[in-house]
Amino acid sequence: MEAVEAGARDASRENSFPKLLRTNARMRGARPAMRHKDRGIWRTWTWAEAYENVLALAHAFDAMGVGHGDRVAIVGGNRPLMYWSISAAQLLRAIPVPVYADAAPDEMAAVIEDAEVKIAAVQDQEQVDKFIGAAERLSFVNFVCYDEDRGLEDYDHARLKPMHKLIADAKALFAREPAERARIAAKIEDGQGGDTSIMLYTSGTTGRSKGVILSSERSVAAARDTAAFDRLNDHDEVLAYLPLAWVGDHYLNYAQAMVAGVCMACPESPDTVQQDLREIGPTFYFAPPRVFEGLLTRVMIRMEDAGSLKRKMFHYFLGVARQWGEKILNRQSVPVTARLKYALGEMLVYGPLKNVLGFSRIRVAYTAGEAIGNDLFAFYRSLGLNLKQLYGQTEAFLYVTCQPDGAVRSDTVGPPAPNVTIKINEDGEVLFKSPGQFVGYYKDPQKTAETVTSDGFVRTGDAGIFDKDGQLRIIDRAKDVGKLPDGRLFAPKYIENKLKFFPNIKEAVAFGDGRAFATAMINIDLTAVGNWAERNNIVYSSYQELACHPRVNEMIAKNVAEVNAALAAEPMMAGGVIKRFLILHKELDADDGELTRTQKVRRGFIAERYAPLVTALYDGSSEADISTEVTFEDGRRGTISARVKVSDMDGGAPASKQLESAA
Amino acid sequence: MSDTPQTLLSVENVTLKFGGVTAISGVSFDIRKGEIRAIIGPNGAGKTSMLNCINGFYHPQEGRITYKGETRERMRPHVAASQGIARTFQNVALFRGMTTLDNIMTGRTLKMKANIFWQMLRIGPALKDEIQHREYCEEIIDFLEIEHIRKVPVGRLPYGLQKRVELARALAMQPDLLLLDEPMAGMNLEEKQDMCRFILDVNKTYGTTIALIEHDMGVVMDLSDRVVVLEYGRKIADGTPDEVKSDQKVIDAYLGVPH
Repeated sequence: MEAVEAGARDASRENSFPKLLRTNARMRGARPAMRHKDRGIWRTWTWAEAYENVLALAHAFDAMGVGHGDRVAIVGGNRPLMYWSISAAQLLRAIPVPVYADAAPDEMAAVIEDAEVKIAAVQDQEQVDKFIGAAERLSFVNFVCYDEDRGLEDYDHARLKPMHKLIADAKALFAREPAERARIAAKIEDGQGGDTSIMLYTSGTTGRSKGVILSSERSVAAARDTAAFDRLNDHDEVLAYLPLAWVGDHYLNYAQAMVAGVCMACPESPDTVQQDLREIGPTFYFAPPRVFEGLLTRVMIRMEDAGSLKRKMFHYFLGVARQWGEKILNRQSVPVTARLKYALGEMLVYGPLKNVLGFSRIRVAYTAGEAIGNDLFAFYRSLGLNLKQLYGQTEAFLYVTCQPDGAVRSDTVGPPAPNVTIKINEDGEVLFKSPGQFVGYYKDPQKTAETVTSDGFVRTGDAGIFDKDGQLRIIDRAKDVGKLPDGRLFAPKYIENKLKFFPNIKEAVAFGDGRAFATAMINIDLTAVGNWAERNNIVYSSYQELACHPRVNEMIAKNVAEVNAALAAEPMMAGGVIKRFLILHKELDADDGELTRTQKVRRGFIAERYAPLVTALYDGSSEADISTEVTFEDGRRGTISARVKVSDMDGGAPASKQLESAA
Repeated sequence: MSDTPQTLLSVENVTLKFGGVTAISGVSFDIRKGEIRAIIGPNGAGKTSMLNCINGFYHPQEGRITYKGETRERMRPHVAASQGIARTFQNVALFRGMTTLDNIMTGRTLKMKANIFWQMLRIGPALKDEIQHREYCEEIIDFLEIEHIRKVPVGRLPYGLQKRVELARALAMQPDLLLLDEPMAGMNLEEKQDMCRFILDVNKTYGTTIALIEHDMGVVMDLSDRVVVLEYGRKIADGTPDEVKSDQKVIDAYLGVPH
């Protein structure tokens, strides 16, 4: 609490992250600021050390000619040097531009070109190769600094600099000439509130990604509000494992850590996040619903293999938790016997389970990005994990709504976040005004004008409704909400989410706008369906074979029928009942452009790519041939072809050609 | 490669018999310091037997093996190991119940100096020893990118990763000569590419001399500096990948020849 108040006192003056960093170094210099697991050992840097490293790095960048307004690309995983590079760039009033580390060279080139990057801080040889490849023809890239030197010994080091050495050299210089350090440190004061703090590229769900400009004072103001909302302080700890280029990482980890003095821990590698989570035991945690879903699936699968006594105990106490857990978490009145049973369950099941998952110390956990199933949400909450939902976007510097403790539900995303104003226009689109609101899109005033209304509200592009209790419920992308010929509403995402709540279904793509009825393409979940196949002695050699198996089809048909029953029960959504569906022969993949890098389906692109299948869904045929080009992980291309079965759902008459031509 | 290649190991006229069966007959070749040397040949050509002779598991009836300038008489495998020869096996030979880390630590056994008394109590010199060795093992874990399986029992790992752990254990010995028996057998394309990169990196970073047996010709030709070809226990060709590729005897041995 004290930390937040202390921050609030200087709110008017502390309007940039370098200033906050300096304050943290003064106020809590000996407290941990950053951790990183390297060679099997957690190494820790205090705020004072972090500050010194940022000063040293800023000195090196300064020597490379980086100054006010220059763009600095940050390409890599969650590592201290990547975060310090962001701070160092901000210190020089340059603009950090984080790039998704798993971006293909073309995507990376597009960003580098658009942002006209002057220097880059990259993680390792892989990124250096990609970056040099992408930047080759671009004359404005001057230097590339790297973190890990393995494999880079033989490279031409004329424009390639190892960051460890840059820092060591700068520190040695500071020791010899303290004036040099003072010169760099003085630059912190030059920072203005209106400076661009960072430029984040949108995920590009709807076409080309755009650079979102966020200003320094607004970023800090937004982070202050939410840090206070969740009472974050310098004894809190987060595991920074989200993609650096995503607003969620920059906000939840970097920005909140800076304003509240939270310690950030960087995982050893992307593959070790689960173990690292367990070792660190964060107190604040964010994960998209798919992560929670994956964890639950894994827990359930492993419990199937446990002994019968353990299994019985597990399921008994899960029952107790389902009945009472959420009520206890929400501080409602609960009978003493139930409390006792729950306490016993905590000792025998929930506690150990949370420990295995690394959730033991979590005070606040958030999920966002897509809808979360009620069962899934309730499962974690019933274990005593304070999981909440928020709704946000890059243009808002994350938070638009968030759920306060005690008013948490799975089907809404909460009331407006502190100091945020929301309105819903006549088309059902959600508009907001927020403290962290973006300044504009980079080099795209026209797009900015389209997005920001004349009275200063930002269009989210999402359709939503307010519930009776003032919580916002997001239905779909506003432009995706279509109409069926009979005038009923068709919200594809709403249907897709309902389908995806089944563990067997990984992705779903619904069609129906301007058509006679709704249909769906489905991607099975290899883990869940594979496990089911193993237990039922179903032999398969590939994803494709499993997906095309008749019994898998039967199982999915049952799930679709359940979704249809649920849809039929909602008057607003009854039009979306799925008449026909098919199971795709390949997994939708971001490398093939079918998903965005944040794993959202690109419906329009999929409809084009699988045009023969869409035709088959509507012309009544029971099978369709499809052949698609795929990109393998090593960049080679190949084709996959298959014959896909199209199934009719009961209740809906089989589609006929007449129907389709009428539509 | 330096201008005057230094011979690390030479095999001269080696013949190995099991009763009436001649596994290897009169084979000679050498391995130069710092190179990647491939041994190829059809099934049953005597490749693995050759490796077994080199690391002292088999003792050839005739011929001489000279390692680091020293001609050896009936050497035992552990002597070979202490002289800096490490190997991996065609069939993964790890301690399945032990974790990746523990398996790699076993590769350091020969370098542990503390006596059994300290070791048992894990105090004093034994503890210092262990920290040092653990540090080295962590280097290798980082090098081969297996951090995520550090604490996983090896038996639970997929085959491709087990192969990588085996390589890690061999590397933990800090060998001068690394013998790899089909390091890529049973791997998919991606795993093979990873393994190739690791082998090249080991050779470059640590300067380790590598002798490997491999059936994937693409891999052999890309990786190795020189190739020796065996058929029915005899050497039929020896030279750079290009020379060997165009050698008529090698083509016959691999493609078959009408008799």
